[in-house]
Amino acid sequence: MSLSASPSSKKRSYAPHKIAFYIGLVAVWQLVAMSGVWPSNIFPSPYEVGEDLVYGALDGSLLHGFATSMWRLAVGLSISIAGGVALGIVMARREAFNQTVGSLVLGLQSIPSIAWVPLGILWFGLTDAGIIFVIAIGAVFAVTINTYTGVKNIQPHYIEAARNMGATGGRLITDVLIPAAFPYMISGFKQGWAFAWRGVIGAELLFSYLGLGYMLYVGRSLNDISQIIAVMLVIMATGLAVDAVLFKKLELKVMSRWGLR
Amino acid sequence: MAKLEARGITKYFEHESHRLQALGGVNLKVESGDFVCLVGPSGCGKSTFLRIVAGLEKPDGGQILFDGRPVTETGPTRIMVFQEGALFPWLTVRDNVEFGLKVSGIPREKRAEVSERYLDMMQLTKFAGSYTHQLSTGMKQRVAIARALVMDPDVLLMDEPFAALDAQTKDLLLVETQLIWARTKKTIMFVTHNVAEAAVLGTKVAVFSNRPSVVKREIPNDFPRPRVPDDKDLIDFQHEILQELRPEVRKGGGAGASGASKDDADAEGTVAGEEEKKKKKKKKKGGTQ
Ligand SMILES: Nc1ncnc2c1ncn2[C@@H]1O[C@H](COP(=O)(O)OP(=O)(O)OP(=O)(O)O)[C@@H](O)[C@H]1O
Ligand SMILES: [Mg+2]
Repeated sequence: MSLSASPSSKKRSYAPHKIAFYIGLVAVWQLVAMSGVWPSNIFPSPYEVGEDLVYGALDGSLLHGFATSMWRLAVGLSISIAGGVALGIVMARREAFNQTVGSLVLGLQSIPSIAWVPLGILWFGLTDAGIIFVIAIGAVFAVTINTYTGVKNIQPHYIEAARNMGATGGRLITDVLIPAAFPYMISGFKQGWAFAWRGVIGAELLFSYLGLGYMLYVGRSLNDISQIIAVMLVIMATGLAVDAVLFKKLELKVMSRWGLR
Repeated sequence: MAKLEARGITKYFEHESHRLQALGGVNLKVESGDFVCLVGPSGCGKSTFLRIVAGLEKPDGGQILFDGRPVTETGPTRIMVFQEGALFPWLTVRDNVEFGLKVSGIPREKRAEVSERYLDMMQLTKFAGSYTHQLSTGMKQRVAIARALVMDPDVLLMDEPFAALDAQTKDLLLVETQLIWARTKKTIMFVTHNVAEAAVLGTKVAVFSNRPSVVKREIPNDFPRPRVPDDKDLIDFQHEILQELRPEVRKGGGAGASGASKDDADAEGTVAGEEEKKKKKKKKKGGTQ
């Protein structure tokens, strides 16, 4: 792309800057590691971390950890999306429910997912169910609140027109309330995903029971810093990929449909 | 028996500082196949009345009789066309038009067949796959009309559907609306600010008084069709409507009362203030759903 600000090139591409930055970062890291200020078991070089990534990928341990965490997250997040959407819609449509249950939701929403871990362990034991509980409850209220806001912001005319054409009850919910509130609900899913992702790693660290979080725990027990960093890189890459690919695509699709961009 | 009859409809609204009576006992009979235009000063309660007829709002007193039976719930026998269209932005034009059929459980093939017919009638076939934000205001109103017609309602309720259109598009739609009415034999109630519009469209014009409003006078209109907005013969008729309307507008102190030329038939001066009001109203309603 040319550097001149022609009207057709709306956005300048910073890809070369990015590539240069990351190459530079890794180079500096390698230099610091090679300087010998810290021993390599405390400050591993990018080469060692890369080696661990490759081994982890080849022996399947990273993939297994990743798959385990993702599976828990998918189940937990599905529960919080289903529950949060339902709660949010009822809150938006029934003021008494909003004043009672809704006020509690606001309170619960301020509790970080990780604070649910003790309850998860005591109620469900050191099982998948316990971790899923932590994920689901940590993410559900963000979905609830965004759904509530979305339904509250629906133009009354949409609902009236739909009722006028005979849409009632479940039909009104599936064919009008949910699609009309969807732009807000996406924000809820995004926040829910962020809470759930943090929640699953945190819970696995404490539960010591498979998954990427568990691999961090093992790395710490074995003083294997390069494994820790390798797992952290996988966590970061997954977070970026879900945000930048899944949610971005979903958002773009909805926004362009509605003509909001 | 009248297709639709309003008997002594009253409606009050609570405002912060006072209670406002919008409707003061509206009586109106609409026969099957009638095209009734409702005109009245801004804020007198025409929209409220139409919403009550649609069952979207409950009256505080009085009854709406539909084929002689009282109705209180909303439903597809009386379909409303909103001023802003109220089209669903998450659906394509075709899906918007098919919406009512879908919720009433009509199978897909049948829906497609019906929507095709009305899309064609409203000259929307080319835009069937477009989303509503890709349409001009005029096309949006065509979609809104198509969406209403597929429901095959007994009564079509139109609340200033053409108020936001430019003059040429409006003239075109005025002609088309008459053709649709003639073709479908629908009973239509049509709210408008525009006296010329009322004169062109209606078989009858019902003039609303100022608040608390009642139907002050019903003026039949048997001019031959098709009528066009600048029909010379209709000018006198417009004056007759205006004669009834002007004192009411003045009583309300509305901005529309200024000037006595044909221009205030349009009462364009009131439109801006009205938009403001509508926005406020929307907010209020949003909170009470
Ligand atoms: N939901 C509401 N809450 C409070 N007041 C309302 C509400 N809806 C309407 N009103 C009031 O009732 C009166 C009639 O309103 P309505 O919208 O029916 O008038 P209108 O004749 O359609 O006016 P316009 O010609 O400007 O569209 C107005 O004074 C308005 O302020
Ligand atoms: Mg109105």
